[in-house]
Amino acid sequence: MAPESTAEPPRKSTLAAVLAPVVQPLVAILIATCVGGLLVLALGRNPFEVYGILISGSVVGVPNILVTLQMMTPLIFTGLAVAVSFRAGLWNIGVEGQMLVGALLSGIVGYAIHLPWFLHIPLAVLAGFVGGALWAAIPALLRVYLNVNELVVCLMLNPVALLVTGFFASHVLKAPGPTNKLPDIDPSAALPNFSIYSQVNAGLFLALACCIVLALVNARTIRGFEWKLMGLNPRFAYYGGVDVPRRAIGVMMLGGGIAGLAGAEQVLGQYRAFYDNFSPGYGFDGIAVAMLANFDPIGVILAAFLFGALNGGSAVLQMMTGLSKYLVQVLQFITVLVLAAQFSWNWLRRRPVAALAQEPERSAAPDLAHPSGRQA
Amino acid sequence: MQEAVLPHKGLPPVVRMRDIVKMFGSFVAVRSAAIEIGRGEIHALVGENGAGKSTLMNILYGLLERTSGAIEVFGQDVHFSNPRQAIGYGIGMVHQHFKLAPSFTVAENIILGSEPLTTYQRIDRVRAERETRELSQRFGLNLDPRAIVGTLPVGLRQRVEILKALYRQAEILILDEPTAVLTPQETRELFATMRSLAEGGHSIIFITHKLREVIEVSDRISIMRHGEVVDTIDNDNVTAQQIAGHMVGRSVLLRVEKSVARPTTEVLLKVDGLTALGDRGERAVDDLSLEVRAGEIVGLAGVQGNGQDELVECIAGLRRPVEGNVAICGTGLGPKPSDNRDAGLAYIPADRGGVGLSLESSIWENMTIGHLPQFSRFGVFAIGKARDRAKQLIACFDVRGGEVEKPAKSLSGGNQQKVQLARELTRPAARLIIAEQPSQGVDIGAIESIHRTLVEMRDAGRGVFVVSADLDEIMSISDRVLVMYRGRIVANLLAAETDTEEVGRYMGGLDGEPFGPSAGDTGKGLADGA
Repeated sequence: MAPESTAEPPRKSTLAAVLAPVVQPLVAILIATCVGGLLVLALGRNPFEVYGILISGSVVGVPNILVTLQMMTPLIFTGLAVAVSFRAGLWNIGVEGQMLVGALLSGIVGYAIHLPWFLHIPLAVLAGFVGGALWAAIPALLRVYLNVNELVVCLMLNPVALLVTGFFASHVLKAPGPTNKLPDIDPSAALPNFSIYSQVNAGLFLALACCIVLALVNARTIRGFEWKLMGLNPRFAYYGGVDVPRRAIGVMMLGGGIAGLAGAEQVLGQYRAFYDNFSPGYGFDGIAVAMLANFDPIGVILAAFLFGALNGGSAVLQMMTGLSKYLVQVLQFITVLVLAAQFSWNWLRRRPVAALAQEPERSAAPDLAHPSGRQA
Repeated sequence: MQEAVLPHKGLPPVVRMRDIVKMFGSFVAVRSAAIEIGRGEIHALVGENGAGKSTLMNILYGLLERTSGAIEVFGQDVHFSNPRQAIGYGIGMVHQHFKLAPSFTVAENIILGSEPLTTYQRIDRVRAERETRELSQRFGLNLDPRAIVGTLPVGLRQRVEILKALYRQAEILILDEPTAVLTPQETRELFATMRSLAEGGHSIIFITHKLREVIEVSDRISIMRHGEVVDTIDNDNVTAQQIAGHMVGRSVLLRVEKSVARPTTEVLLKVDGLTALGDRGERAVDDLSLEVRAGEIVGLAGVQGNGQDELVECIAGLRRPVEGNVAICGTGLGPKPSDNRDAGLAYIPADRGGVGLSLESSIWENMTIGHLPQFSRFGVFAIGKARDRAKQLIACFDVRGGEVEKPAKSLSGGNQQKVQLARELTRPAARLIIAEQPSQGVDIGAIESIHRTLVEMRDAGRGVFVVSADLDEIMSISDRVLVMYRGRIVANLLAAETDTEEVGRYMGGLDGEPFGPSAGDTGKGLADGA
């Protein structure tokens, strides 16, 4: 036994080690591409031509690239919001609602307060963060203090957020005119644009910065380490001295805040006002982006780029071929489906062995964010 | 002893398992186990947790495939790779955790998987309900076929499971710890059902570790230990003590080199009038008091399920007591487990995969948790230092196959145990060490080194509290032995002045109830909680 362990090479081949985490996403994308190709074939079109248009429509030429960058910006925020929470074992699928509330607060601060730009922009952006964080605090507190499943609460709060923000946009703070929107923000609160081709704005850099900061936090700080252990085994983390309930509230609110930044970017950078029902579902796409990224902040950038490119290219596709732009959504959904299948497969494969290998079935499974909440 | 007389004499056994071996990776869960089940008998399969009872029966039911060995059912050689095949041979199993659809009715649950169909290939509900009713009447198991399973009490859900097996014409019923979830009344009803089924020619395999129940209901008893069936005996003038002796065994002679303990007067663990509820709301720990002093090793013996788990969880801060106090090095319990650790507790839990380790995480990560402040500089994590420390600990505690980056699950049980020890014992504040089942799933070599470490800790003036189901381990390592029975300490003995026989007697509980009125209990009565 002993010689075997000493004779073993110290590390597996580095290429395999580097590739391992990206294999699953790549396989998912590949399968989605093939299925999508068959779909296009069934519609009587040449899949290579269609994919060619999709690619050239998204990443060839400065205008197309700028549109892709515009499309990917909110997805970076929402993907990152989901990734941060999931990594700590919290199923924050309420990113859509958190984004809407953040957008509303940004919109209010943007028009109702008048300040020079170097104060107004940060304050309006901060308002977005606070709005999202507070909205996320609802499921987090319910989870920690009453042990209510955060997944369900998050999901149910999404339409609540849509209707509440809609009420503000259509009644309480409605701007004059036929559209359900808040008044336009002051120019001093607007995130600067860079080009006439698209509405890509300074929010993109904020998004990238968030990803880099969180990547560093995950890899290099005590907090990031604690989040990871919580996600892997909350009971172990709790016993080991991690204040799991408090960290759970913190990480949910951080995720919510990042989601709120997505809203701030949309309002301050793209629309220049809060519009009722402005989101085509960035919060939900964020879940897909985070899954594709395997909950890694840098991966989120790549995944958001892919989804943003698909969204950007889809408009060109529709114009040039008459194929519905929803074809792109089909591709995205298949990708997610394959990823989900891989995820479940891993989970199922791991479970029965663990359950049967040892007889002792100790007391009930721990609560995720509230391991101490087991008293009577 | 294999020549024990079957209740239905002259009939060949319905199940014969020989030389069964089951490995999980390098871990041997069952080693050359042999068992024979007669027609119409209630055959108890007893043993401590981890002895391999459930694994052996999961093999018979086709849930697990054996690594080697032979199984005969009704005289035919069989090899099941899934339960469906086992069901085809008339084997049914009721698991500890029911596998029922709670939102379905009783009848729907019973037919699920083998539905009666109408001529139009639709489910024949009328027939399903009729057959369910007939079946429940035939076996005297009253059940309303239309009741929603989720609304039924646990005892009735278990009936649904049993009926489900009978509906599939099971001749051999495996009941995996069926009484673990039942009230005493429900247990009594279950035993009546088991007896009537056995009289009707069904064979019942009854997995349990509650000895009183074994004596109460079974015809024969097979005892498993460390993956082997060590004995099969007729239930005839057997006492709970004898079975307990067989269960904990003397197969491994552990010898711990140690000097005489010199406990000081300093009390490191003081439990005072502690009462705590178990997961089902029973009084698992009942007005219990004990002390562990610096410089001694106190062993807590007892058949599993007598409240040891709950007691330790209370001390570790993972369960809230209902009444009473726990003080660690003079400090009362804090609201968080980390408070107790700061007070001086080092805890080596039995549940390595759940509480003690994060199996997916690397070894260095597992060794670092609980030491985080040491590696924090303004919140930045000094990963390099943490890795270096882990490397030293791996060498120091002799973790075989330990590379800092490898996940903890890649280690054997013994080496996982060493990772826990390394993490817990190196905290400078740690003065009270609680080791729960320290040798469970651990190979003999590692047991020795773990025991040696615990003795070293004692000699360094710390207090050690060992909770173990393995009586040999308790006897060999402890300076003082406490016996826990039904949530109470029933004996406090000096290890040097007692022996396994005496401790075993207290574990069986017969002369072990100096506090209760039922001291004259004969052992044929039910274990009805507290």
